[in-house]
Amino acid sequence: MSEHKQIGLKAFKHNLKSALKSFAGSYLRGGKPTSDRTRSSAIFNNFFLHIQGVKTHINTLRPGYTLGLGLLSFFLLLATTISGVLLMVYYNPSIENAYNSVKDINYVVFAGKLIRNVHKWAGEGMIILVLLHMARVFYTSSYKQGRQFNWVIGLALLVITFGINLSGYMLPWDQLSYWALVIVANIIQSPKEITDSLGLTGFFDLGGFSKELFLGGLTAGKESLTRVYLLHIMLFPILMFIFLGVHFWRIRKDGGLTKPEVFEPKAMDAALTTPPEKKGGLFPLNKTYGLMELAKGKTPAVDRDVENTVLSWPNLLWAEAALFVFCLAGVIVYSYFIDAPLKELANPLIPENPAKAPWYFLGLQELLSYSAFMGGVGLPGLALLGLALIPYLDREEQHVGLWFSNRQGKLIALESIAVSAAVIIGLLAFVINFGWFRSWWPNVPQLLITLINPGNIWVGFMILWSMFVIKRTGSTRMGAIALFTMFLVSYLIYTYVGTELRGPNWDFFWSRSAWPVH
Amino acid sequence: MRNRFFTWILFLSGGVLLIFTLLAAYRELTPEWEKYQAQYKEQIIKAAKDDAAKKKARQLKQEVQQLYLGALNRIDRCTSCHIGVENPRMASAKLPLKQHSGAYLKNHPPDKFGCSVCHYGQGRAVNKKEAHGLGHETHWDFPVMPLKYIQSSCTQCHDYETLTAKGYDTIAKGAKLFTEKGCRGCHKLDGIGGALGKKLDIVGSQPIAYFPMRHVEGEKTTYNWHKQHFTNPRALVPESEMKISVKPEETDLLATYVLSLRSGEMPKAYRKIKGRMAVGKPDEGEALYKMFCIACHTDGKESYYDEIFNHTIPSIKNPAFLKAAEDKYLKKVLEEGRAGTQMTSWKLAAGGLGESEINKLITYITKERPSSKPERFNVARFKPDEKRGGELYKVRCALCHGKKGEGELGVNLRNPVVQGADPEFLAITIRDGRAETPMPPFGKKGLSLTEQDLADLVSFVRTLSKTK
Amino acid sequence: MSNGAHEKTEITRRDFLGLAAIGGAIISSLSVLTGVFRMFKPNVRYEESTKFKLGKAEDYPSGTIRKLDEKGLFIFSKEDGLYAISAICTHLGCIVNQTEWGFQCPCHGSRYNETGKVIAGPAPRNLDWHEISLALDGTLEVDTAKKVPVGTKFKPA
Repeated sequence: MSEHKQIGLKAFKHNLKSALKSFAGSYLRGGKPTSDRTRSSAIFNNFFLHIQGVKTHINTLRPGYTLGLGLLSFFLLLATTISGVLLMVYYNPSIENAYNSVKDINYVVFAGKLIRNVHKWAGEGMIILVLLHMARVFYTSSYKQGRQFNWVIGLALLVITFGINLSGYMLPWDQLSYWALVIVANIIQSPKEITDSLGLTGFFDLGGFSKELFLGGLTAGKESLTRVYLLHIMLFPILMFIFLGVHFWRIRKDGGLTKPEVFEPKAMDAALTTPPEKKGGLFPLNKTYGLMELAKGKTPAVDRDVENTVLSWPNLLWAEAALFVFCLAGVIVYSYFIDAPLKELANPLIPENPAKAPWYFLGLQELLSYSAFMGGVGLPGLALLGLALIPYLDREEQHVGLWFSNRQGKLIALESIAVSAAVIIGLLAFVINFGWFRSWWPNVPQLLITLINPGNIWVGFMILWSMFVIKRTGSTRMGAIALFTMFLVSYLIYTYVGTELRGPNWDFFWSRSAWPVH
Repeated sequence: MRNRFFTWILFLSGGVLLIFTLLAAYRELTPEWEKYQAQYKEQIIKAAKDDAAKKKARQLKQEVQQLYLGALNRIDRCTSCHIGVENPRMASAKLPLKQHSGAYLKNHPPDKFGCSVCHYGQGRAVNKKEAHGLGHETHWDFPVMPLKYIQSSCTQCHDYETLTAKGYDTIAKGAKLFTEKGCRGCHKLDGIGGALGKKLDIVGSQPIAYFPMRHVEGEKTTYNWHKQHFTNPRALVPESEMKISVKPEETDLLATYVLSLRSGEMPKAYRKIKGRMAVGKPDEGEALYKMFCIACHTDGKESYYDEIFNHTIPSIKNPAFLKAAEDKYLKKVLEEGRAGTQMTSWKLAAGGLGESEINKLITYITKERPSSKPERFNVARFKPDEKRGGELYKVRCALCHGKKGEGELGVNLRNPVVQGADPEFLAITIRDGRAETPMPPFGKKGLSLTEQDLADLVSFVRTLSKTK
Repeated sequence: MSNGAHEKTEITRRDFLGLAAIGGAIISSLSVLTGVFRMFKPNVRYEESTKFKLGKAEDYPSGTIRKLDEKGLFIFSKEDGLYAISAICTHLGCIVNQTEWGFQCPCHGSRYNETGKVIAGPAPRNLDWHEISLALDGTLEVDTAKKVPVGTKFKPA
């Protein structure tokens, strides 16, 4: 009888002493990743990591291929989200208190100014990086080979990124916030321009209805702030993370990132990767799934696994860790030196002059100055539609995984830059010097201006020129390169014009120093 | 070692990240106010009288100092740097540790009033530049106010009588100037005043963007704007028609007054309005004249052509005018104004003057009316010939009164008041002229037009409003 | 196989760097967390200060008892000085009333004697005595964040 007691108590004592170790073992069931098998299971069996493959193609790891742009965008999102949650501890979303709460974050919250700066710059950096990422994906033809839908998901993410940035901009309730809110609300109302011309407004005032939905009333006020806050902290982030989840999932399902058809690992790849060991592990595993891989290919292969892959642990994760710290460092350095702007308290009686959107929208604002509907709804909608159609209109499967496809692609890109710059600058010079329809014929009907204005002319030209390139080169891919390059150039030039060359009353000035002081 | 490239990036970035995080932490832990509080602590430890005081001084914590003013809906953190503001031992210390001057804090304890309610500035800030709010980049509309205007804050709670009695008479002087220089002839306050200038009700609370700052010299603050605007309105607002004649030192007084016209009201517990808030006796005729008329009409004895108005300002106390003009006519002019000129309509619905005020003004203006009435003309006896009157007008009148009567050197004859005037009045005026103005007599005392001529002219003049 | 640990006595560079990296990551995460929790702690409060002025000593002649409801404080003035006793019941925070024998809380029946000592009811602690001192401008000041021993009286000079 007492023997049982002894055995039982002894077991209990032993279990108590090794509780910590067995706890660690129950959590980290795969064992140390010291063999290929354990390295595989480190990825495979991890809730967070297993969205990535166990093996990564060497091409994916080459910095010159992806420039890490997608990952940087994601890391910026993480930085923005975390800093955003921290800011929520102190920000107060009422029009009486919003401005003061932001001021106090700057003045009396520990690290408040830094966190706010991080939030602002990581958020705006995301816009630059997702645009660059989109360009990389386009120029490496990575919207092909089954990746068409992921491209569309990416576009949805682009729109959400713009939306989340814009809604965040409106929260401090300073002059910029308030007038941005008023302008955006009126852009939302711009379909009225069309329904008015067609006499439909009486039946269904789409513009007015949407505006009231957005503002929570007819004028920008406390209801608007509540709704914008809801968008910014809840609706857009939820959408963002859902779509991101799908985006990452699709990458796996589409077979990882694209790579050139003919691929040979080079000497430089040695600096990027750790070769697999291909030997057994030291620690036993708890198996939930047994089979780790079935691979095609010729063995033995030196310094690489089948089909030019290496193990994700540690190669991919090391690259990601490096990129993550790089991203954080960049954000912190920028946030250390440059403060996020905060202007005077919102004053509904005194509009900003010029009332400028944040820089990423200033290109649109230039187009808006021609026609509210076209600049705010029509042309952006058309641009998004055009971008979404690219993978479906260009289905050539050659040259995937190569920047600019081939030499001809590079030439087409350069040619497009030159042509688009010339046409855009020409159009701008014309409009700035001579005005447009209403300057010459004061009573011209609005519908005419909505249909024929410099923005529409430019977009029309882009489409026609791309068709011309398709015809000339016999390739839809070349036409796509032309179209996309012209789109990028026009985004750049119009944004520059809107930021630097437009002053009070949206008049043209050669530089900011020439702006008349109020 | 493999993986060199990413390893390099990782460690370099990590290094940069670490350095800047440490720099940021250092910056966070050494705020500007800390050094002032450290100096203060040192000084009061040295000045401590006994050991107990020394001990208390050593226990002084260095942290953000805040005055939470719930009733005023303000938070002032000025005392984070101005830590010695209440301490008599700091009377001869250097700024920012210096004690507040005078005995103001006895009746205005900081824990009830804070600082910014009187001194403006950005109370929530904890560094000098943003707390003082000067400079465009601070985006603060009310920087710390120059001390010469400080009394503009007193009237939030105090009345002019009490302030003047205690020797703080800048604001009362400014208010007096305002009421005696005819400012309300063009500017409304409390709904009463002319319509040519902007309303002044909350001008002391308007932000910087409300004012055209382009030509302001020095700091672009509302304080400088007001001072320079009083000195020369057209220097700041080129198209302004404002008429003002004050001495240089009076511009500061006026600026103080104007800066006291603020929006919002102090909570009842703070207000101590016991005496009068008005200056002078605004219900007497002379005071009314000074408040509303004097800026344009000066003493009213002479009419003169004003370059800025591009109109002649008539002499309203001219004995010849008063002789011919009946009170009824004067009342009409006052109430309706003179359309097409700068003369505002002053009736209750427009300028805001009630019947009794207008009557008092008329009594005042007509004080020196000559007792003798002008000889009656009796314009009714004539059959007027409009066409002939037109010819006469072209020759005799157009030169001063304009081809269409729109007025230039002479007054505008087209406006409803002249058009609606009694023909008898018009005839007498043309016949006898207006002494001490450029309008000569056209009757037998002067240019000898016949009475028929005069009647024709009167009938023509009365058609002027109908011609385009 | 299971005795692998006894085979090496020195740690490889790879293992060391690996451990160092993990250690570094843990340290940085901990410091970030420290920073985050420090950020959560407010540096300023949006409330009236715990230290406030009572007025001149002459306003509290000997024999005065004053209750400041909005501050939750009793001020007593006796021959041998002034003292302040908290009026906030230590049970669940109601404001107590004064009685001939001390203080009575209306909420759950706690009773205190004249010095604030609990004599009945669920209150777990005695009422606090707070420090009265002379402010810089010569008036009386009390700090409800500073507790003083029972019986501490302030004698204005």
